[in-house]
Order: sequence, then structure tokens, then C-alpha cells
Amino acid sequence: MKAKIGIYVCECGPNIGETIDIPRVLETIPALEGYEDVELVPKSFGLLCSPAGKEYLAKEITDNGFTHLVVAACSPRDHNSTFIGVCKEAGLNPYLYKIINIREHCGWIIHDKEAATDKAIQYIRSGISRVLYQSELFERQLEITPDVLVIGGGIAGMEAALSLASHDRKVYLAEKTGELGGKAARFASLLPRQGRGADVIREKIKAVEENEHIRVHLNTELESSIGFLGNFEVVLAGNGDDEKTDLKVGAIIIATGYRMSDPGSFTGYEYADTDEVYSSLEIERMNGGEGIALRSGAKPASVALIHCVGRQEKGYCSRICCNYMMKIAGYFKKQSGATKVTEFFFDMCLPHKADQEFFDHSVGLGIDFKRVKEIGLSGTSVEFAETGGGKQKMDFDMVVLASAMEPSEDTEALAGLLEIDLDERGFFKEAHQTTDPVATSIDGIFVVGASQGPRGVSDSMLLAQATAGRIRCQLKPGGKIVPEVKVSEIMEAYCTGCRTCLEVCGYGAIYFDDQKGISIVNEAVCRGCGNCFGSCPSGALRTKHFTNKQLYREVTEALK
Amino acid sequence: MDKEFTPRIAAILCQWCSYTGADLAGTSRLQYPTSIIAMKVMCSSRVDPVLLLKAYLSGSDGVLLGGCHPGDCHYEVGNYHTRRRFAILKAVFDTLGLESARLKLSWISASEGPKFAQVANDYTEEIKKMGENPSKKKMFL
Ligand SMILES: Cc1cc2nc3c(=O)[nH]c(=O)nc-3n(C[C@H](O)[C@H](O)[C@H](O)COP(=O)(O)OP(=O)(O)OC[C@H]3O[C@@H](n4cnc5c(N)ncnc54)[C@H](O)[C@@H]3O)c2cc1C
Ligand code: SF4
Ligand code: SF4
Ligand code: FES
Repeated sequence: MKAKIGIYVCECGPNIGETIDIPRVLETIPALEGYEDVELVPKSFGLLCSPAGKEYLAKEITDNGFTHLVVAACSPRDHNSTFIGVCKEAGLNPYLYKIINIREHCGWIIHDKEAATDKAIQYIRSGISRVLYQSELFERQLEITPDVLVIGGGIAGMEAALSLASHDRKVYLAEKTGELGGKAARFASLLPRQGRGADVIREKIKAVEENEHIRVHLNTELESSIGFLGNFEVVLAGNGDDEKTDLKVGAIIIATGYRMSDPGSFTGYEYADTDEVYSSLEIERMNGGEGIALRSGAKPASVALIHCVGRQEKGYCSRICCNYMMKIAGYFKKQSGATKVTEFFFDMCLPHKADQEFFDHSVGLGIDFKRVKEIGLSGTSVEFAETGGGKQKMDFDMVVLASAMEPSEDTEALAGLLEIDLDERGFFKEAHQTTDPVATSIDGIFVVGASQGPRGVSDSMLLAQATAGRIRCQLKPGGKIVPEVKVSEIMEAYCTGCRTCLEVCGYGAIYFDDQKGISIVNEAVCRGCGNCFGSCPSGALRTKHFTNKQLYREVTEALK
Repeated sequence: MDKEFTPRIAAILCQWCSYTGADLAGTSRLQYPTSIIAMKVMCSSRVDPVLLLKAYLSGSDGVLLGGCHPGDCHYEVGNYHTRRRFAILKAVFDTLGLESARLKLSWISASEGPKFAQVANDYTEEIKKMGENPSKKKMFL
């Protein structure tokens, strides 16, 4: 069948109408060299993206029986999807259509109308030649399960579970220990407000336990997981028994939290077990139990609180310590107003809106804040130099260390199991630090709370709620998902089985078929970036909708 | 050299950052020469050396490859691979006695409309000084 290509130039009001000589474009197209075998039908319209425009275009496609369509208009970011919709409605496979951006890339960047018109023609010609080499692609709809697995039952995991559980969505919550709540369950008070602390967490635990749509698996860890967004098959294993649970879930949320780094591993903090030196978390525990006391049982009369332990070595600020150290100072003051509390810090980190107020309040309690440039311990004597001052030494009854928060112990193993990346600091890596902070490199696997980086309770909950929102949008109960169609494929005959593509694919979308000795793309997982294509030494890869033929035609025609 | 020489520069841009940056140059009504002919790919890492070579041999006076800034690739590490592949192609060009200055790799984010226009202007000037791509006249490979 002879190809018949509709070429529609949108005036876009004055945006294209006044910057490009559309009549000249329409005149030139039928006379293009090299398209004698093709029927080219160029037309223009006022606003193609308007309801009237869309209706017009759909009718034109059907009436004329176009085999291909080129729309010369605005940026694909604005209206590509609009015209894809029109194609679908008119029964033209949308992969046989192409939008050409003659507004941003011609009319708007060149004052000279003639030059802009020449360029527009050049772009349109290149688009016509490309579209002739495009092939139909078919979107597939995949059934999904809306259910979600949450790994880790701290505040982040519980909040995610609570935000997701509903009558049409089950949540499985796997917690490694025998109880829910994570670290914060033991805190007597929670920032930013003193007071109601553990209560908040206890209420959450109760809500989780009472929620009929959440299934809590205590003493349980993830054993294996395969699949992709909407369709993961996971196995949970009891860590005290041999119990295995097979589940099908649509998404996985990692909420395995953090652990405190060992202060002994940082220079200046080598101390003996018998010294009255404690970690901040130990103080929280004491305070939540019998009260804070020395080994003798006596209450300390003087305490040094040292911030930023290990910050230099780790290369990051743990963000929450300055705040919780002031909270801990408050514990001591509450226990006995006479306790002498000194806080040593390098930089004061007060990132939330209530923090400054809390700091002023702490100063008001009579806590002595010392900004230091160096510090070291010898037992409970602290040697330090204040900024702008010389070396000093002070003796205390007790020393409390805020050592850096680091990724929890299973982080690396879990990352390996789920095939997701860790960042340079060892925390789970977000898909994009700025623009996609809860997703990971694998679609359908999310990371929330302190497992993604040091953070407090409210920020952990924030990420959990954001993730729940993402999952609710992506996995609607009863819904289907349409995986990317512009994916890569490997041509069996050319693949030598070198596995280079496996190395470069950041999504684990390629697997090796041992029997055939070749690599194969899992199209449901592939994102279509084409990195594998760029790496294959044998020319075995093909990127759908961005094939060599299509790109070569596009580039050579544009350069004519 | 022809005074009127207007170069042709094939600009192969990733759709997430550099193509969007080029769009922004347009939306901001920044002016840059007609020499630039933009083409879109999913990610700069799709661009194998052969595609750049193809553009060069098709008579592109300069070939511009645009991607997201390192660390910002929409596919995470794609552009680190691009960077290496590009370096190899430059070396191959030098070895073959081709002008590797006709190849340019640039990181342009979605918000860097002005940078896109700047790169387009500067690179066009550079290529103007170099003159026409000799491969337009003769095949010498
Ligand atoms: C001394 C101290 C005081 C603090 N005070 C405050 C405060 O007042 N206000 C505030 O906002 N923040 C405070 N924080 C920070 C707070 O502890 C964290 O923000 C919070 O605990 C993060 O919650 P999470 O759920 O991400 O992690 P976690 O609380 O660490 O919970 C993680 C959970 O995952 C489980 N888990 C781990 N690995 C696995 C696995 N492989 N499989 C299954 N389950 C697993 C753990 O058992 C745990 O239950 C303080 C921190 C410290 C150290
Ligand atoms: S890089 Fe190419 S040849 Fe090597 S395994 Fe992948 S597809 Fe096969
Ligand atoms: S196109 Fe990208 S995501 Fe798909 S298999 Fe290749 S490298 Fe992996
Ligand atoms: S998406 Fe822009 S370089 Fe990969």
C-alpha cells in the first residue's frame, strides 16, 4: 500500500502563525524530493490542541485514511500526549505519528521569519522521513495487585502501612524483631514538643494492630523477591522458625531504619566499657525506664553532651542529633534542676521551623552551649578547644555521645536481594535526590524513613505518606498498568552472550539465558533508556521507536 | 572560505534534560542560530558512537550530544556511560585523523535554557571558524 502521510501544521494562534510562513511550508512539502512514492497531504489549522482541533484532526485521519501522521506544532512536552490520544481515537497506531516542534525550536528562537520557515521545513522533512520508518507498537495492559509489603515496623513502616491499608488494599508488615515501633517506641518524649512521646508511637502501634487490612509478621524477614511494579512475588521467612510465607504484592516499601554508629571507631572517643560514657540511645532507654543514673545508681551532678560524633569521618550530618541532644538535656534538668549540663557542638543544625524556639528554650534552662573546633575524651574528662580559644579540659560525672546515624545492619544484604542501589554513604539510594526522593532504581520499590538517610520522626512519616500517595496513584485496585512500550530487545542471532548489557542496565531488566547462551530483555522491567544499546559490541540490541534506521533517517534528512 | 557559511549542527539531545533545556530556550525567546538541528533520544546513553559518526558522515559540520548533568540522568547512570563512550569516539577520531573538535558533549539541565542557547551560539562560532565538514565533499574513510 502506498503510504499517505498527513502533515498538519498548527498555527498555535500567533505563536507559529506569525513566526513561520505557513503557506510556504504547505507549498514546499508536496514538492519535496525523494518522496515521489509517498502521498503527502499538508494542511494547517488554527489550534490543533483545542477540542475543535482534536475533533478536526481525528476526522481528517479517518476520512483521508492516513497511514502516518506528522504534526508540526509545539514541544512534545506540551501536546505529544494530546495527539497520541487523537491517533488512538481515530484508529491510527500512535507510533506511526510524530510531533515536530516548530514553535520552541524554530519560531521562537529565530527572529527572521524566512530563516525560521526554512528551518521548520527542514524539521518537517526529517520528521516525514522518520515516520515512514516507524512501526506500530502495541501497549499491553498488565493486571496488578494493589497489595503492598512493608519491610520494617518502625514509625516509618507503620505510617506507610496505615496510609495504605483499606478495604481494597492489604498491607503486609514484616518486622524483624518481636515488636513494632522501632527506636522511637522507647523515647519518653518526641521532638519538636516535649511531653507526649512514646504515646504517639504507642497509638500508632495500636492502630496498626487493630487495622484488619494490615497483617503484621513479627520476627520476620524478607527471603526473596522477584518481579516488577504491580507484580512482585516475595517470600517472607520467620527468623526464629522455618515458617515461610509466599505473597504477591504490587509494591515494596523499605523502612528498615538506622542504627547508631560505634563511637569507639572514631578517633578521640576510645573509652572503656566501665567509663561513664553512654550513647544517646542508651540515655533514652534509661530515661524511659528507671531514670538516668551512673553505674553506682547515683544521679550524675554534671553531664557533657557531645554532638557530631563521627560526622567528619562519615561525611554527613545526622540532622536530628542537635535537636534530640537538647531534648536529652531537658531530661537531665527535669530529673534534677541542679544538674550541670554542657553541650559541645561543632555546628548547630536547626532545620525545622520549631527548632530555633526549642534552642532558645534550652538556653533558658541554663544549659551551657559550647561551640568547639576540636574535642576528645579521656574517660569522662573532655578536652576541647572552643572556636577562637585554646585547649581546655573539663571533668564530668557522665558523658553522652550523639554518634552518627548509619544504615541499619541489613541494608547491604537487602539491597542485594532487591537489586537496588545504595548511595555513597551506605543508605538506600533514592531514584533522584531532588525530584524523586521516595522511589528507588526499581519501579515499585520505595524507601522511607531513616533507611533513606538520617531523619527524625516527622520527616520519616512524611516520606511514608508521600510513598503511600505514589502507590495509591500507581496501583489502583482493579486497575492495570501499561508498561513502557519503547523498550529494548535483543536479536538472538547477533548476541554473543558477552553480558556487557547486563552490566550497564541499571534496572536489572536483562537476564542471561544459560541454555541459549544469550541475554534477554525483560520488557516489563525495561525503561527504554537505550544504555544497553550504546554498550553492545555486537549490534544485537534494538531500541523500539528509536531504531538505528529511524534515527539515521531523521539525522540524514535533517542535514540535507 | 565562504563568508556566508552557515554550519549545520546535529544536536542529539536526551528527552529529560537537554531537550527540555532547548525547549526552555525557545519558551524564553532566546535567540540562537538556525544551525542547530535538534533530535531527541530517551537518554544520551542510547547514542552509540556509530550514530554520531553517521551524523558526521552525513555532513553535519558539528555534532552536539546533550545529556543531563552527571548524577542527574533520568536513568541514573546513563550519562556516565555516555561520557566514556564519547571519550573513546574522540580518540578514534583523532587516530583516524578526523577533526574530533567537530564532536561536542554538553550537559544541559531542563532549567538551563540560557546555557543551551549559549552552547548553540558558541559552538556555531567555533564550527564557523573550522569551516565546512570536509566529508561533505569527499569520502575518505
Ligand atoms: C537518641 C535519639 C533520640 C531521638 N529523638 C527523636 C525525637 O525526639 N524526635 C524525632 O523526630 N526523632 C528522634 N530521633 C530519630 C528517630 O529515632 C528516627 O527518626 C525514627 O526512629 C526513624 O524511624 P524509622 O521507622 O525510619 O526507623 P527505626 O525506628 O530504626 O525502625 C526500623 C524498624 O525496622 C526494623 N528492621 C530493621 N531491619 C529489618 C529487616 N531486615 N527486616 C524487617 N525489619 C527490619 C527494625 O527492627 C525497626 O523496628 C531520635 C534518635 C535518637 C538516636
Ligand atoms: S551486550 Fe550485546 S552481545 Fe553482549 S550479551 Fe548483551 S546483547 Fe548480547
Ligand atoms: S533500555 Fe535501559 S532499562 Fe532497558 S534493558 Fe536496556 S539498559 Fe536496561
Ligand atoms: S536521561 Fe538525560 S542523560 Fe540520561
